[in-house]
Amino acid sequence: MADFTAEVFQNEFLPDGGTDVHAIVRVTSTGASAGASAGASAGLADPGSAAEVILIDTSGSMGRRGVQAAGEAAKAALAEIVDGTLFSIVSGNGTAQIVYPYSHQGALVPMSAHTRGEANRAIEGLRANGGTAMGTWLTLARQIFETVPHVTKRHAILLTDGVNEGETPQSLQAAVRSCVGAFQCDCRGVGDQWRVDEVRGIASALLGTVDLIPAPEEMAAEFEAMMRASMSRGVANSELRVWVPQGAELLFVKQVSPTLEDLTSRRTVVNPLTGAYPTGAWSDESRDYHVAVRLPARTLGQEQLAARVQFSLGGDPVAQALVKAKWSNDDSLTTRIDPAVAAYTGQAELATVIQEGLAAKAAGQDDVATSKLGRAVQLADQTGNEEMTSRLRKVVEIDDADTGTVRLKKGASKIDEMSLDTASTKTSRVRR
Amino acid sequence: MTDIPTTGAAGPAPLPAASSAASAAASSATSSAATASRDCPVCGTANQADSTFCEACGADLVVAARASNGAQPPVDVSDGTVLASATPQTAPAGEESPLDVGWTGAVPSAAVVPVADDLTCHACGEGHIVDGYCDHCGTPPPNPRDHLVESPTAWVGGVCDIGRRHARNEDAMSLSAGEPAGSRAVLVVCDGVSMATDSHIASLAAATAARAVLDQPFPKGVGTPDAWAAGAGRALTSAVTRANEAVAASVVEDVPNPPSCTFAAAVVEDDVIVAGNVGDSRVYWLPDDTAEPARQLGRDDSFAQEQMAAGVPRLAAETGPHAHSITRWLGKDAPDDLTPHLTTLTATPGWLMVCSDGLWNYCSEAEALRTLLTDAAARLDDATPTTVAQALVDFANEQGGRDNITVALARLAGRGSSTTTTEATAAAAPVEGDPTDG
Repeated sequence: MADFTAEVFQNEFLPDGGTDVHAIVRVTSTGASAGASAGASAGLADPGSAAEVILIDTSGSMGRRGVQAAGEAAKAALAEIVDGTLFSIVSGNGTAQIVYPYSHQGALVPMSAHTRGEANRAIEGLRANGGTAMGTWLTLARQIFETVPHVTKRHAILLTDGVNEGETPQSLQAAVRSCVGAFQCDCRGVGDQWRVDEVRGIASALLGTVDLIPAPEEMAAEFEAMMRASMSRGVANSELRVWVPQGAELLFVKQVSPTLEDLTSRRTVVNPLTGAYPTGAWSDESRDYHVAVRLPARTLGQEQLAARVQFSLGGDPVAQALVKAKWSNDDSLTTRIDPAVAAYTGQAELATVIQEGLAAKAAGQDDVATSKLGRAVQLADQTGNEEMTSRLRKVVEIDDADTGTVRLKKGASKIDEMSLDTASTKTSRVRR
Repeated sequence: MTDIPTTGAAGPAPLPAASSAASAAASSATSSAATASRDCPVCGTANQADSTFCEACGADLVVAARASNGAQPPVDVSDGTVLASATPQTAPAGEESPLDVGWTGAVPSAAVVPVADDLTCHACGEGHIVDGYCDHCGTPPPNPRDHLVESPTAWVGGVCDIGRRHARNEDAMSLSAGEPAGSRAVLVVCDGVSMATDSHIASLAAATAARAVLDQPFPKGVGTPDAWAAGAGRALTSAVTRANEAVAASVVEDVPNPPSCTFAAAVVEDDVIVAGNVGDSRVYWLPDDTAEPARQLGRDDSFAQEQMAAGVPRLAAETGPHAHSITRWLGKDAPDDLTPHLTTLTATPGWLMVCSDGLWNYCSEAEALRTLLTDAAARLDDATPTTVAQALVDFANEQGGRDNITVALARLAGRGSSTTTTEATAAAAPVEGDPTDG
């Protein structure tokens, strides 16, 4: 059985008249890994406890080589799916079709040596043709998952190589909205012809990750890793619940590690003082959340609970952290910013300026791009984020990291810009 | 505020008093992993699972646990009475909490039990206290330790108050008394040293342990006043020893600044008073008859006292930079000699007071204190030891309340009855043993 713990990192002291409380809540799970459960250790998942759908881009732009590589990637993913897990393979272009299972078998079949072999053969028949309308792929995936309403752990992998030109942005958004809560979806873009913000929108809404695969040959390893990660998640149906006192305002709830994800708008109401935020499936891992609350200021010396953050499974709280506020006139207490809060606030700003800088550059606003990316260089330098500094170095010439003085690099490759963009939301864990 | 100097009186300035807030970690980590602890529903402090009272605020955890076993405290629907508090129970012999030691039948403290058995929020009246905070408005319940009132009998009472500036009440008070008036009473006040860690726990443990010793009647010996005084002195010295052990036991591990506290106690037995102190908490004798001098019984163990002994005027000494540095205290790092400054006295009609420096900082001279008390009592319609003590606490708070304030009082009619005042006064020119300092 999985165990969850919650810790809070904050400076609870507020100055006279202070109103805003920031805290990092770290939720850690142990024993949540699917491998820890008895069924999986025997090599068999509980039939029907999990379902996987692989969505492969077969638009014309993929070409013969691309579709072949995608097919190999799908096979690598299939090899990772634990026997007994329900699965399905969908090919997508301007529309979406189930490639496997065959129509008489239904929308999903349990994995076995036999069905894996049949699926591998079906993948051989994929051909590149037509446009790209990811909304139709997602809609088909949702319909597939809806045939097994009792399955709680539902996961999809979406692969694309191009811009969603086969439908309007509105219809894609509508399709994504209809899938929220129906399944989780990790998204991967191959090559440099797809749009990071478009795919990130899908992954973010469906509680998944987004990343760039530079070349088709690298797809198989990526798919294998993604599917292995999904298989290891043994706990589904979890959510973060945040209570704030009467009269307080919850400014935001963000996941800040391992990736940045603003959860604020995903609130569902538990009761007038409590909101719930879905957190997807969990393996043995640790995630950090940044909670910000605005309180009516109290008099010096007073104390109050600013937020109660609970992690719940199937509606039952299993771990809890208390965020407190104490008003003090001792400057040595109130001026200190908690290191975890400071680090994640900095990383969130870094992600924002990178994304805005790249968007400005794409829109031809070079001075805005220069200023934003300069700030990014400065932040990465200040926080010792060498990985981000080296990614930024591929896009800008750094004259002075200290002041954030940069020049846009002539002839920066599209792939480097996209990889900087996708990496921007990956945060480095704040150690305690 | 009471400090311990790092070296002798002529040494460098004492370290600045650490406020309790500063010692609290600015960042806190709370784990919800199941631990064998019993969290105080009143103040939220984690106590050991078998604790019967909260080490931080003194709330009764047994009553609270009983109350919180169900989702709601057990409530008699007919009138809303909380049933849990109706049957206080002592622990089995040998398992008493320090609050139970010296149990004399009735619960003399009105303040130890109440808040814990009523989990409705005092601030908003809508929510309930969960994990130490209201689940509606987030306000923690008032810490019962912040303001304690004890009235064991009509002739003994006291008030222990957090004051206005400190974040925590590190004073502690423990009183007991029997009827009739003047027969027997114990008044103990301990003031936690603010620059040490967890001194609020130390002071409560010390006061409780000392009272347990002093609640035992003194040996009569051969029946002479001198024999009584000798027995009473031994009992007070023993009380200091027990209190010192209790303070040392209040910390499990070695900490850089082990908790420490002062000690001041007075015992009345058949209208004879014995007083003793270590540190700068005081016992005053304030007789009604202004012909008889009001006086402090014993003397401070403080830098200010040493200065006064060297000729510095009281006001200058007590307001100087090292005024609150004490030279003796109870605790793990206490000096070897803890013999209290002892005084015995036969009471005339008057007030016996035991107080912390939170009061005398604003009124140190015994004569001025007598005037202050007499005036305060005169303004009250119902002047009891408790209401007068409250009036004096109010006075200290009005002056700024810079420290925790404790005032414990016994109203004594003196030898003979109050109807024979003249005779009593004449006869009772205080039969007073010389201060018998160790």
